[in-house]
Amino acid sequence: MAERILVEPDLKFIKDLGILGGDDLKKCYQCATCSVACPISPDNKPFPRKEMIASSWGLKDKVVKSADPWLCHNCGDCSTRCPRKAKPADVLAAIRAQAIVEYSRPRWLAEAVNDPKKLPILIAIPVALFLVVGSITGLLNFKPDLSGGIAHYKFFSTWLVDMHMVPAMLFAVTVLALGLKRFVGDIHQNALAEGKTDQQTIEVAGFVQAVIRVIPTILTHKKFSECTENKDRYIAHFLTFWSFVGLFIVTSVIFLVLYGSYLLPTGPLHGPWAQINPIKWLANISGIALIVGTGMMIKSRLNKPDQKSAYKDWFLIGIAFGLGLTGMLTELTRIAGWAPVTFAMYFLHLICIFFLIAYLPFTKLAHLAYRTAAMVYSEYAGRKFVK
Amino acid sequence: MTDEKAAPVSGSILVVGGGISGLTTALEAAEVGYEVFLVEKNPYLGGRVAQLNQYFPKLCPPTCGLEINFKRIKDNPRIKVLTLAEVEKVEGGPGNYAVSVKLKPRYVNENCTCCGACADACQTEIASDYDFGMKKIKAAYLPFAMAFPARFVIAPEIVGTEDGQRAKQACPYDAVELEMQPKTLTLNVGAVVWATGWVPYDAKKMDNLGFGRHANIITNMMMERLAAPNGPTQGKIARPSDGKAPESVAFVQCAGSRDENYLPYCSYICCMASLKQATYLRSQYPEAKIYIFYIDLRAPGLRYERFYETIKKDPNVFFIKGKVAEVSEDPSTGNITVVAENAVTGEKIHQAVEMVVLATGMQPSAAVKKLPAAVKTSPDGFIMNDYAAGGMLGAGCAHKPADVVSSNQNATGMALKAIQTLVRR
Repeated sequence: MAERILVEPDLKFIKDLGILGGDDLKKCYQCATCSVACPISPDNKPFPRKEMIASSWGLKDKVVKSADPWLCHNCGDCSTRCPRKAKPADVLAAIRAQAIVEYSRPRWLAEAVNDPKKLPILIAIPVALFLVVGSITGLLNFKPDLSGGIAHYKFFSTWLVDMHMVPAMLFAVTVLALGLKRFVGDIHQNALAEGKTDQQTIEVAGFVQAVIRVIPTILTHKKFSECTENKDRYIAHFLTFWSFVGLFIVTSVIFLVLYGSYLLPTGPLHGPWAQINPIKWLANISGIALIVGTGMMIKSRLNKPDQKSAYKDWFLIGIAFGLGLTGMLTELTRIAGWAPVTFAMYFLHLICIFFLIAYLPFTKLAHLAYRTAAMVYSEYAGRKFVK
Repeated sequence: MTDEKAAPVSGSILVVGGGISGLTTALEAAEVGYEVFLVEKNPYLGGRVAQLNQYFPKLCPPTCGLEINFKRIKDNPRIKVLTLAEVEKVEGGPGNYAVSVKLKPRYVNENCTCCGACADACQTEIASDYDFGMKKIKAAYLPFAMAFPARFVIAPEIVGTEDGQRAKQACPYDAVELEMQPKTLTLNVGAVVWATGWVPYDAKKMDNLGFGRHANIITNMMMERLAAPNGPTQGKIARPSDGKAPESVAFVQCAGSRDENYLPYCSYICCMASLKQATYLRSQYPEAKIYIFYIDLRAPGLRYERFYETIKKDPNVFFIKGKVAEVSEDPSTGNITVVAENAVTGEKIHQAVEMVVLATGMQPSAAVKKLPAAVKTSPDGFIMNDYAAGGMLGAGCAHKPADVVSSNQNATGMALKAIQTLVRR
């Protein structure tokens, strides 16, 4: 007699997928056009057809604990070809959002990030922290002495900035690391169960080699460029990705110079840095790239009735676009000499940064960890997802 | 009372379209005593059925069914058949329509005996629509051997040319009349039945299925012509690129059907058509490998289910649950590789075959060319019948995708509905 399987559908999972943009899931009639239309789906256990049926049956573990939804780069070829307009690309995006919630702790924070009603609380957290800690320590000065020109540290001390951002970053890294540990274990079990790998265990040396092989793919956005639909998304994501790399370098250099310079007899070197400094060039170029890249994302999402844009999508694009915009406006209003405006912009800019860092493990941005891990794992596991 | 055989006649019925549905409606109405005009745009009756090699599931040639109907028409003085005729305008209401019908010249009169002398004399060749362009025919031609009316046609291309004159001079019966002019008739009828049928959906629209780009990808209707004894290959199924007997053939089901990008509905007949065509291949090539890629196989009803069960027993017919979404051609051999995911095993299949048949669906003719009358159609172009209003009715595949037997049942019903319009008046 055939093996008996008791299907236990997770109805909440199906409902949540709908809220996250996968509400056309049930239109799927399993023709498998999507798996063939996908330019990066492997021959062995291709996606997204199997994810469509597992999701529709509420088999959450089969999809959330799998690497495959992360191999998808959301190009939308499957949704374009789908004869039922079931939008597999959006279903996979919704599965990824669920995986982010699944693997991040604390759970309530993850759920708050995905709930528009909780947005005021999320905003209130950094605002309250900045104001309360700033007032108690005196590191927030609403009437700074600007005789030496406008400098933001006189209003919002760098100590106050780092007092929040450094712990926020440590928090984010810890949450992501714990999440990744469970994630990699789960996707390996899933791959073994579904016959997607011959590797019985995860060997560190082999895994590190896989990391080295995958990094160029990520840096060049090779997977992205294979998509035929949504070519503009490739450029937008490429710009945004590299602007973040640029801004990360800028921030790290400034951080090191600032705290290093406390050892100098002349005292700490505060910003603003001169416009001729190459680091400033990098900062400006990255800032503009961020605005352009995220602006393209907003435009393409508004122009595409075929693609679903859920709260999770707008949340991250909003933060990233806000980050770039407030950053550039902070600089421009400082140059213009509008002290109150530039300080207000700076305050908003810091809120955006706090959002980005502290909430990173819970937003779509966590894909930088999970997708990388999934791509590395698949490379390690010998899953041929490169055609 | 013996002379009162005919039903009380209170008006005539116009049937538009001389395919299997139109023939049925016309005959059923005429045989209870109503006067019927049967208007057909082609030079022959029979429509799509006349292009088929065999009917499913009995696998008999369509000529047997058509022949009986043609005889019934010949025997029935109440049916007036107009070929090369198209409705241009319909005015009036139920019980009282004035219909303008344009008649194109056939350039051949009733003296024709089908001797074929005109075709022998004619030098110009034209592509045969009847064979989907797979064959060249003389510009003076009989549409096909069983054609009814059994009369040659002169293509307008040669009228006014030397070739036209040659055809005329060759005719020993004075049947070629190159001076014939188009005419417009007005018919006064009480009811109109639109049996305008269907066209094979344009396979070029599915750009991922390669039709029109690769020679060895054909449609199911082309397959009917290839297999038909009166077809371009005299019934030998040969692939178009080199005439080779195919050792492997893939059938792509739902090519354009059940697809919101193309035809959102199921065309009803394509599963059975492919199963039937598998038998064409098997009868000619006992070893050929046949791959049928499907979403769901639809063989409705007991007889069709049995037919499917029979085909399933063939060890060289492989059923793969997964729609073909990509094709490529090996330019050196002309072979085609079709790609699908087998949804049962979860493996992508790259199957190389020598020929591919796209099971394209039915599109109602009204979707391609709007009907010249105020008839309500669905967004897909199927006629939506308003039985309470009566007057104008859709029958057969103009109303919904259907096989021959359902078309005939529906067409019989529409004959009754048309009669009711007349009687109610």
